Amino acid sequence: MSEPTGHGATPPETAGGAAAAPGPAGAPATTPPREPHEPHEPHEPGGRHEVDGAAERAPSRGPLRDPVVLGSLGVLVFLALAGLILPSLLPHGPNELVSDRALDGPSWGHPLGTDELGRDLLARVLAGIRVSLLVIVSSVPLALAAGGLLGLFSSASRWLDTPVQRLFDVVLAFPSLILGLACAAVLGSGLTSVIVTVAVAASPVTGRVLRDAVRSQATRDYVVSARVLGVGTWRLYLRHILPNCFDVVLVQAALACATAVFVEGGMSFLGLGVPPPGASLGSLLSTSLNVLTSAPFYAAGPLVVISALVLCFTLLSDALNRTMAAR
Amino acid sequence: MLRYLLRRLPVTALVLLLATVPIFAVLRMAPGDPAATLAGPDASPEAVAAIRHDLGLDRSLARQYLSWLGGALHGDFSTSFVNGAEVSGLVGRGLGNTGTLTLCALVLAVLLAFPLGVATALARTARLRTALSALNVVMLAVPTYVTGVLLTMVFSGALRLLPPGGYVPVLDDPVEGAQFLVLPSVCLALPSAAVLARFLAASLQRVFHEEHYFASRMRGLSRRRLILRHGLPNAVGPLVTVLGIQIGHLLGGAVIVEAIFAWPGLGEAMVSSANARDYPMVQAMLLLAVTVFIVLQLFSDLVYALVDPRVREQP
Repeated sequence: MSEPTGHGATPPETAGGAAAAPGPAGAPATTPPREPHEPHEPHEPGGRHEVDGAAERAPSRGPLRDPVVLGSLGVLVFLALAGLILPSLLPHGPNELVSDRALDGPSWGHPLGTDELGRDLLARVLAGIRVSLLVIVSSVPLALAAGGLLGLFSSASRWLDTPVQRLFDVVLAFPSLILGLACAAVLGSGLTSVIVTVAVAASPVTGRVLRDAVRSQATRDYVVSARVLGVGTWRLYLRHILPNCFDVVLVQAALACATAVFVEGGMSFLGLGVPPPGASLGSLLSTSLNVLTSAPFYAAGPLVVISALVLCFTLLSDALNRTMAAR
Repeated sequence: MLRYLLRRLPVTALVLLLATVPIFAVLRMAPGDPAATLAGPDASPEAVAAIRHDLGLDRSLARQYLSWLGGALHGDFSTSFVNGAEVSGLVGRGLGNTGTLTLCALVLAVLLAFPLGVATALARTARLRTALSALNVVMLAVPTYVTGVLLTMVFSGALRLLPPGGYVPVLDDPVEGAQFLVLPSVCLALPSAAVLARFLAASLQRVFHEEHYFASRMRGLSRRRLILRHGLPNAVGPLVTVLGIQIGHLLGGAVIVEAIFAWPGLGEAMVSSANARDYPMVQAMLLLAVTVFIVLQLFSDLVYALVDPRVREQP
């Protein structure tokens, strides 16, 4: 808590063990720099120490033993597999008119019902999952690469540090959906602007966190001894320091995935994402609002799937941060 | 205090100035020629050139940027490409409504965050702690467009308590106006409330570790008095900063919430101008969003420095 300049505010470790990860929903910019090196000791206001709760007890468990990590990974894998495999098993595609009864409730033929044109809602929800996956796969590596490189430069060079940090300030000054609107205005609405938005919105946080992580590694003994042994700067960063920052990058990747799903849904909800004939979780939700009274079942599928995706990625990032900090 | 302000002001101005560059570049990076679009498909090259001259697009980039910046300083954002109306007028009309919504959401977020944050900081059992942090993650991570649809389904669909969307000026008819305001505010407030609660809980727990708190406890003060008089006042400082950032994000989130509840604010104008590529509108609103965000940040830092002298003494 050194300077109250906005983004670098307090890194909270709440008692519940949920680490500091304001998710994508409200505030990517408030995501405080994680300081994973402080295992928290919950003090009662009475000053009495307490040692129940898994987070405090197990300092050496791997992330894959954590029930939250396992659970959210399980749900995510299930949804991803459903989105990738199920469509080829279904008798009808997402844009096929399969029933002459529009807005028909759930039935054996159409488990989630049919939409306003008589298309199968299950097929459309699955197509929406595919869109989300596509956005994740294309934008998250971009965000990590851009943010990671900038963060690395920023940590390596004192001259670059200030400009890069100000650049991050400027990007963080735009809420992610406002960035999305700007991207849609320039590039036209469509998946390209969604991908660009996610990459731009998620990279400053990654950059900041990686910069701090690299800085904290740079003072360690192994780095100093490597330097003394004459290891070159590039090799030092790529082979020695970066591998030790892997956990931080992993946490950020999970968070960036949550941002990707959130932004894709939001932009499609506003009609700036996937164009009309295509299906997206966001556009399905916005259509469901118009038919809420006559067909309340419409919203169920997209509602559950998009919440599950964002929630699981956020939980995953939280839990990874917690378990890795404990080690 | 004044010295602190003088130290912060140049940095803030610089960030704001830097932010204007990409905003201006929005117009330049866009594919297509605005003059040609405006002139229509059948216009002669001379007509296009005339329009380009009228818009000032034939001058150098630097001069265009400076004149745009100068106009922006006067509140002059030229006219909308789509309907030719003054952009400042169009923005001003939506701003009041969005402001009302944001303010309500902010108050609600703070009201929700305090009990939640204090409860999280005080939670004794692991089960309660897990429950509270689960609630927090859900509030935080579930997107506003999901909660919006859910709230509409429950409160206006199933229970028929509140209208699904629309707008009645609160000043004209307080009772009905408030009814239209409830669902959007709740929807907008939840993620911010979660963030604030997290920060409050963390801040409170830090205070619990401090010696003055321990000393007060040793004096045998009651739990309630301890928390209300010795815990919270020392914990709210860092929250001011977070609050400033949250207001900016409430404004961003308002775009979605206004679309869900058919609230006639800036969000609607923003989406339609982004769709129509109405650049003067888009630029004006981006500039507005960034200015509000940056000014709020500075303001909250100042309030923090006012509250906590340690901050302003820092080199």
